[in-house]
Amino acid sequence: MLKRFIQSRGVRKFRRDRFAVVAFLIVLVYLTAALAIALGAITREDTTVRVGPDSQVGSFETPTDAQRLSYVSFHIDTIETAAKNSRGPKAYEELELFGAVPAIANVEEAKARVDELWKRFDELSDISESDEGLDEAGRASLAEFADEVDALWTVPEANRSLKQSWATWLGTDRQGRSILLRALYSIKVAVQVGLVAAFVSVLIGTILGGIAAFFGGWVDHVIVWLYSMFSAIPYIVLLMVLASMFLGSSVENTLIPVYVSFCMTFWIGPCRVIRGEVMKLRELEYVQAATTLGFGRFRVLLRHVLPNTAHLMFINFSLLFVGAIKAEVILSFLNLGVKNQPSWGVMISQAKQEVIGGFFWQIGAATFFMFVLVLAFNILSDALQDAFDPKHVG
Amino acid sequence: MWSFILRRILYNVPVYLGIVFFLMLALRVNDPVHSFLGKNASPEEYDLKEAAMGLDDHILVQYTTFMGQLVTFDFSEESWANKGDTVGEMIGRSIIPSISITVPALCITSLISILIALASAFYRGRIPDKVMMFGAVLGMSISFLVYIIFGQYFGAYVLNENIDGELFAIQGFEAGPAHWVHYCLLPVMISVVVSMGYDTRFYRAVMVEESGKDYITTARAKGATKKKIMLVHMLKNAMIPIVTRIMITLPFLVMGSLLLEVYFNIPGMGRLLYSSIEKFDFPVTQALVALFAGLFLLSVILTDVLYALVDPRVRLS
Repeated sequence: MLKRFIQSRGVRKFRRDRFAVVAFLIVLVYLTAALAIALGAITREDTTVRVGPDSQVGSFETPTDAQRLSYVSFHIDTIETAAKNSRGPKAYEELELFGAVPAIANVEEAKARVDELWKRFDELSDISESDEGLDEAGRASLAEFADEVDALWTVPEANRSLKQSWATWLGTDRQGRSILLRALYSIKVAVQVGLVAAFVSVLIGTILGGIAAFFGGWVDHVIVWLYSMFSAIPYIVLLMVLASMFLGSSVENTLIPVYVSFCMTFWIGPCRVIRGEVMKLRELEYVQAATTLGFGRFRVLLRHVLPNTAHLMFINFSLLFVGAIKAEVILSFLNLGVKNQPSWGVMISQAKQEVIGGFFWQIGAATFFMFVLVLAFNILSDALQDAFDPKHVG
Repeated sequence: MWSFILRRILYNVPVYLGIVFFLMLALRVNDPVHSFLGKNASPEEYDLKEAAMGLDDHILVQYTTFMGQLVTFDFSEESWANKGDTVGEMIGRSIIPSISITVPALCITSLISILIALASAFYRGRIPDKVMMFGAVLGMSISFLVYIIFGQYFGAYVLNENIDGELFAIQGFEAGPAHWVHYCLLPVMISVVVSMGYDTRFYRAVMVEESGKDYITTARAKGATKKKIMLVHMLKNAMIPIVTRIMITLPFLVMGSLLLEVYFNIPGMGRLLYSSIEKFDFPVTQALVALFAGLFLLSVILTDVLYALVDPRVRLS
């Protein structure tokens, strides 16, 4: 069965398309990543805790002197607040910044060290804020100073991990959360939303479309009436109305509003396509032969007719997957989408304030991760259509 | 012909009745009065508000009343969020801003993407075609929101800093042709860039399909040049699907590009809908969605009728 599928004309045609094969591999990589994240490689907590100073730029951009000073001051300040906490030394002992703990074990020593560092910080920041700014030597001493401040932290062996060392690689957002971890975690959210929305919509669409075309008569009229109804509203309006049904309810902060609104909006496409195809298949000889042999109507529909629409299901699945990911961004921007966890939509809409200030890391990371996945899926659905749908014009 | 038009209208009546009922139900899942007044409202206040809108009646009574209002274009209900404004006034005010963005955007997009699609079909299978189609896929893979955010940043903030003036407004709207470039050109350009990928691919598919037809082979056999075939024979015949697509997008024009309006703070219908949902302004939301659905169905009927005028075969089916 599988061998026959692999050697079929469509699959051979698909494999000859090099772009499509690459796109397929990329999609597989994303799916694996999503699975790994779902199994706990990156937890939701990782995406909400502070990993460093606010709005730190990613490692491909050299920070300005002012930015560097603000990062340094964040680190000294964090240590100082804990060391001089009114609760006593306990606060200092408990201090942790995404796995890193203070390097100086003794509180008194740390206080002295912090005061010393503040003095040097003031000197450097005075020069930096003056009209001349820092010269070469000043910059070198700032870099040296930054290293010394970094040495305030140490990562114990037990906390060392890939995500700990890469957390600030793409910078941090306004609350000091890791952009890389948030963008990666969003892969899981996107795949989750895409899979559920596309799968359920194709399922509903196939069942309704198949039944409508196969049985005809009033069943067909009712189903056509149903989908004409749903297609009579711009889909973004329908999405908004459906998602707003859940505002204030107990499931508001889960993904359920997103699922429900997507599934109720997206089933129209596959339903219409499958209905058309089944109408054609119904008249073919092999279906009539099956009916003549006395098979039940449901059996003919399920075993003989619907399997022959499988290519359309795949194509629609891949189109809807992309549709869901893109619609999620729009819904999240309108505050009706994903809540309580990061998603590319949440990241992009958060980034609109940062862009005005010239900070592109958050929007860049979210757009890049999303762009690669959506592009791969777009190429994939084109290739699927070329390979399996003879009616499609390429 | 008249019987065809009548049949189309009759066919769409139950669809409209159904969708309005569905929307009314969907909008009532989340108790509108409760959402609007919040948790601290007294029961009397609650009852008063509910009675004023007729929300305490049976759903079928509400349905018939609302249908009656829709059919007689009676939008005199008062908005909840904007005291003193009727729903009709609010919708009326928001039509012009929406249209001044979407109509130019639709015209420019259609024109450019038909030209690109023609060129692409002309070079079908060769490098220019592949480059253009890959560009379209690339463009489609970036979120609408990213175009808007970067469009505003580079088109308004960065540009204004560099030219020492304000060519494009960062946000806002003022009516009148004199202000159009200032407020609307940037959103229009963003909208054109966004929809170009989708439209170009669609129109190219139409052209390519048309190019396989027999009449093209005939024209070729008679010695017509490739240019003449494309511009005279093919474009004319491709006009039917093209016009259909444009007609189908007409009702969406009224709604405008919701995201653009929200982002650029343009007081159009899209933003009105967004803010009414956000502020739980129930009468406005309900009237707007019902209106959108009605407009959409009207334009579907209109498209069918136009189609039947052009192609007599349609009338018989």
